[in-house]
Amino acid sequence: MTTQIAAPATPKAQSPAREAWSMFVRNRPALFGLVLLGAIIAATLYGTFIYDVDPFEIVWAPLERPGVTPEFPLGTDYLGRDIFAGLLIGGGPTLAVGAVAALITMLIGVGLGALAGYYGGWIDNLLMRVTEFFQVLPALLFAMVLVTLFSPSLWTIAIAIGVVSWPQTARLTRAEFLRVKELEYVLAARAIGARNGRIIWRLILPNAAPTLIVSGTLTVGVAILFEAGLSFLGLGDPNAISWGMMIGANRDYILVAWWPVTLPGVAIFLTVLAVSLVGDGLNDAFNPKLRQR
Amino acid sequence: MKPLLEIEDLKVTFDTRHGAVTALDSVSLSVNAGETLGVVGESGCGKSITALSVMGLVPSPPGRVAGGAIRLLGEDLTKATDARMRALRGAEMAMIFQEPMTSLNPVFTIGAQIAEAIMLHQDIGADGAMKAAVELLDRVGIPSAKARARDYPHQLSGGMRQRVMIAMAVSCQPKLLIADEPTTALDVTVQAQIFDLLNEIQRDFGAAIMLITHDMGAIAEMADRVAVMYAGRVIETGTADNVLDNPRHPYTRGLIDCIPNIAKTEGELREIPGVVPPLHLLGAGCAFAARCDSADARCLREKPALRDHGAHPAACHAVEEGRI
Repeated sequence: MTTQIAAPATPKAQSPAREAWSMFVRNRPALFGLVLLGAIIAATLYGTFIYDVDPFEIVWAPLERPGVTPEFPLGTDYLGRDIFAGLLIGGGPTLAVGAVAALITMLIGVGLGALAGYYGGWIDNLLMRVTEFFQVLPALLFAMVLVTLFSPSLWTIAIAIGVVSWPQTARLTRAEFLRVKELEYVLAARAIGARNGRIIWRLILPNAAPTLIVSGTLTVGVAILFEAGLSFLGLGDPNAISWGMMIGANRDYILVAWWPVTLPGVAIFLTVLAVSLVGDGLNDAFNPKLRQR
Repeated sequence: MKPLLEIEDLKVTFDTRHGAVTALDSVSLSVNAGETLGVVGESGCGKSITALSVMGLVPSPPGRVAGGAIRLLGEDLTKATDARMRALRGAEMAMIFQEPMTSLNPVFTIGAQIAEAIMLHQDIGADGAMKAAVELLDRVGIPSAKARARDYPHQLSGGMRQRVMIAMAVSCQPKLLIADEPTTALDVTVQAQIFDLLNEIQRDFGAAIMLITHDMGAIAEMADRVAVMYAGRVIETGTADNVLDNPRHPYTRGLIDCIPNIAKTEGELREIPGVVPPLHLLGAGCAFAARCDSADARCLREKPALRDHGAHPAACHAVEEGRI
């Protein structure tokens, strides 16, 4: 008697993006981070439609405690400006500066690190000396100089943060490229006639991506903190309210009133946490070895 | 008829902290269209460097072709531009590597990778390339190829991955296929399957195969002709039958004696005593002299040349003098 052996059931085919998404959704902390980040972005974008108070306007007595006056649920700052309105509006510049600064950091850092790591030789030497030059400058001082030179605005702040933050990313990218370019599949790709650009884009960069994605999300967090630091020092954009600026403006009163400083601080903390969780989740989701078959 | 691939007096050196070390010393080989040349020798004999030299993939620096010529269909590859070499790789000559576990890009599906290899050399759209990739997977014996094409490398076994590598290598019907120890990382039953597949591919596509191995058994099974390498030189060459039945060079004899014989129940496994000498310590004499039972004063003094001593060429003073 002959037995028919059924072919093993093939797993349901899914596009890589869908697989990554389902992997991401199963990751509780990452999902929490995404929801939190979404809520923060939604609040900064649409919050003012529901809660329409000008954060620059003096609306009440100064240093009103949260929860005392129902009209101003989170109290007022040292000038009597509404803190809740400030938190809603201030998230925009904070997130925008963080994202743009991280983008600039990744563009410069990954670009130069990839060239240095892949080509090696004099290109590597030249680019790494330039990187070291930027690395030995004290980042905060250098950023302050840049911002004061070009007058503080959201753009100059974002660019200044990007310009001082890229060396770490460049070094990390270079190290990843040095590692991946020695792997056998890069040699195998050369052996079928792939050119350098293709090897960089299709082979090395995707395989270095997990590290770079995590580094990129961390950079967003660092950039947000950096922006807060600059605003705290009074180098923020004077025409825009940001969380860092709220902390900086109220810092003299921290001993009599904790809330004008603490509440924006909590907002920054939650945002950086959310970004980090999402970054971690992306790392796991795009690692094919962790995907379920 | 002119051979498909002709390596003539090839010399490859590597710059090391011991100075320039000669990895290949006047290596001459030829591969005719449609035949299989076995290149055999222990680790460190220059087999892989020979293969990489043909592909133009010797890491440089520190490596460099210091002399000689590699002619593919009459075209000297040592003088070809980078762009020309890229056009030839994959299209006219392709290579299969030792480690199928690490020779595929882990982040793309195998179908996408084969399709990409096809699109590098042929002007067909992404859909056409994908269809061709599925056909190739089917051709190299991967069951339900259409579904498997969407698999990632880590979802396949070593043997399957080597089949994928073979599919990728033959995707543009190269005239020369270099297989660098294609079965070393696989278990024995899979080895036989891969050899069968290579034989089939050769029959169907008419490609010449340069099979690099340290396994005399693989030579017996696969090769039409064989070149034995030792310390960067070809020390014996001839038809596979001739060399296996009537080995001339003591090193070749040693390699053949090392093949375990399941019928022989007595005696220990044979080995060649000693190791391949480090290339920077090679002296004036025969590189094998220190491990050779038949070596005499002349062997330590003078490098033997590859000369015909009757049956087929061998580079050995003892053979030349008729001592063995």
